[in-house]
Amino acid sequence: MASAVDTGVQSGRFWRVLIYVTLIVFAAFYLLPLFVMLVTSFKSLDEIRQGNMLALPLEWTIAPWISAWGSACVGLTCEGIHGYFGNSIKMVVPSVLISTLLGALNGYVLTKWRFPGHRWIFGLMLFGCFIPFQIVLIPMSQVLGLFGLAGTTAGLVLVHVTYGIGFTTLFFRNYYEAFPNELVRAAMIDGAGFFRIFWRILLPSSGPIIVVTIIWQFTNVWNDFLFGASFAAGQSAPMTVALNNLVSSSTGVKEYNVHMAAAMIAALPTLLVYILAGRYFVRGLMAGSVKG
Amino acid sequence: MSSLSIRDVHKAYGPTEVLKGIDIDIDSGDFLVLVGPSGCGKSTLLNMIAGLDSITSGEIRIEDKVVNDTHPSERDIAMVFQSYALYPNMNVEKNISFGLEMRRMPRKQRRERVAEVAQMLQIEPLLKRKPSQLSGGQRQRVAMGRALVREPKIFLFDEPLSNLDAKLRVDMRTEIKKLHQRLGSTIVYVTHDQIEAMTLATKIAIMKGGVLQQLGTPAELYNQPANMFVAGFMGSPSMNLIPAELVASDGEPAVRMVRKDESSMLLPVGDNPAYRDWIGKPVILGLRPETITDVGSAEQDSPLLFQGECLIDVTEPTGADVFAIIELNGREVVGRMRASCGAKVGEKLSVVFNMRHAVLFDPQTEGRIG
Repeated sequence: MASAVDTGVQSGRFWRVLIYVTLIVFAAFYLLPLFVMLVTSFKSLDEIRQGNMLALPLEWTIAPWISAWGSACVGLTCEGIHGYFGNSIKMVVPSVLISTLLGALNGYVLTKWRFPGHRWIFGLMLFGCFIPFQIVLIPMSQVLGLFGLAGTTAGLVLVHVTYGIGFTTLFFRNYYEAFPNELVRAAMIDGAGFFRIFWRILLPSSGPIIVVTIIWQFTNVWNDFLFGASFAAGQSAPMTVALNNLVSSSTGVKEYNVHMAAAMIAALPTLLVYILAGRYFVRGLMAGSVKG
Repeated sequence: MSSLSIRDVHKAYGPTEVLKGIDIDIDSGDFLVLVGPSGCGKSTLLNMIAGLDSITSGEIRIEDKVVNDTHPSERDIAMVFQSYALYPNMNVEKNISFGLEMRRMPRKQRRERVAEVAQMLQIEPLLKRKPSQLSGGQRQRVAMGRALVREPKIFLFDEPLSNLDAKLRVDMRTEIKKLHQRLGSTIVYVTHDQIEAMTLATKIAIMKGGVLQQLGTPAELYNQPANMFVAGFMGSPSMNLIPAELVASDGEPAVRMVRKDESSMLLPVGDNPAYRDWIGKPVILGLRPETITDVGSAEQDSPLLFQGECLIDVTEPTGADVFAIIELNGREVVGRMRASCGAKVGEKLSVVFNMRHAVLFDPQTEGRIG
């Protein structure tokens, strides 16, 4: 019974039932929008007009999904969102990889190769995490213009890497803080240099924190709207901006089913990342908090 | 030939001086143990020999080459860490061969060396395992293997046994001693455990507060401690240090001991010329527990055996022996009796004092007299 469940506090049967009921109600409440989106995306427009939002489709159809992917109108072009989906992938993959790698390198230097003022550097990087996006819009656009990257995916990658480094450095620094110094010293005596120690010793032992950083960065970069809308116009816009344009492009009828399908497509990658690696996320965030 | 030479080495972190001028010389094949209480600077000194800590001033030579500014990997040393520091992502074989790989040794040769070392340490069946799949003792062996495979001029051990349980610690201690006897390698070994120091070392350097207290063979440190700190640190139970007055008895220097019943006895301390100047002055008498015995277990050929009735305050049986606590000059004094001597709490026992090994200290400087 209760003793079979390993919890910190033993609670009575009544409270246990109450807790479960509350949790189920809340879970259902939070999942409701997702449910509505899903069922709507599989309905025909006629069925939607009948008005029962929560009802399952009478006739399942994947036409809205096909339309959203290949032929829906975004602004003036009617080629669906697949091009923008590609843009987002081209933006997310390098942004995540570069910021993760730089974060790892920073964390390594800030814990194992400390230099005078390392606290200040780290403090400033942390501070960078908390600067609101809106403040940097204008200076950032100037910098991108200067580099000739305005309106390109490469420019967006630069923006996201810059913004991501603060967080990735924080993750890796805290992880490597608990990484034994003796290992680095042993590798030094064994004759390994700065990068060799990083590649051969630290990075292979950083699985959990790499997963955490990738999930975090992937979600943030993929879901970003502000930078995408500001720095990448027209054909190089990422998925989130395209979704907005799709919904606001009016051709007479509001195609709710297509919009929902497009929104689902936009949300799928992050969902997928969570499902595949979510358990490492919690594990990685807790790493170091408990010994052993 | 001098293998390691440490000359007037200082270490300061800002205004705090951690090492205050250390001088140590050891020969090739020596087993030097750096011992002392925590915070005495022994680990810092080891790290400086390894090159993991910088030297504030002074000089460290390895085989007559000054290594002050040499990178750790070029000092021809290998180190075994307290936490073993095995690379968690590599299996045992990779762990052992990593240093060779970094030195660009060909794969085939590496294999041979690893196999050789694995056989010596009996870890052949473990070569494909990860460190997390090993027990404490096995990790310890792998850590030693990683050092051995490099065949360095000097091995450095940083409290290598302190993470093992008591039984395993004794086994590994013997193993390390055997290894040293077989390979004849030069070893510097840090510990806070005086028994480890006594059993392993050919030379012990005992440190306190960043100052070298005494450097010598285990027997020298045990029998002729340079000062009261060394006397108290080496040996377990530690040496009894009893304040007393040095008097002349029949022309011979002796110490006056007052027992619990206020009766006094005179214990001659042997005719050391240095003692003459101290007659009539207060001294500290140092007596090891094994020199205070029951009549049966006294060292019969000692020229300085004296017997007296003493009241037993406490007995602590250890199985083989009984440690009996008596009171002399108001101090608790531990003696080591046979288990069968019949010492009973609250009763008097005939106790033999073997004064041949007694030492005297200056109460002011705490240094040994004579």
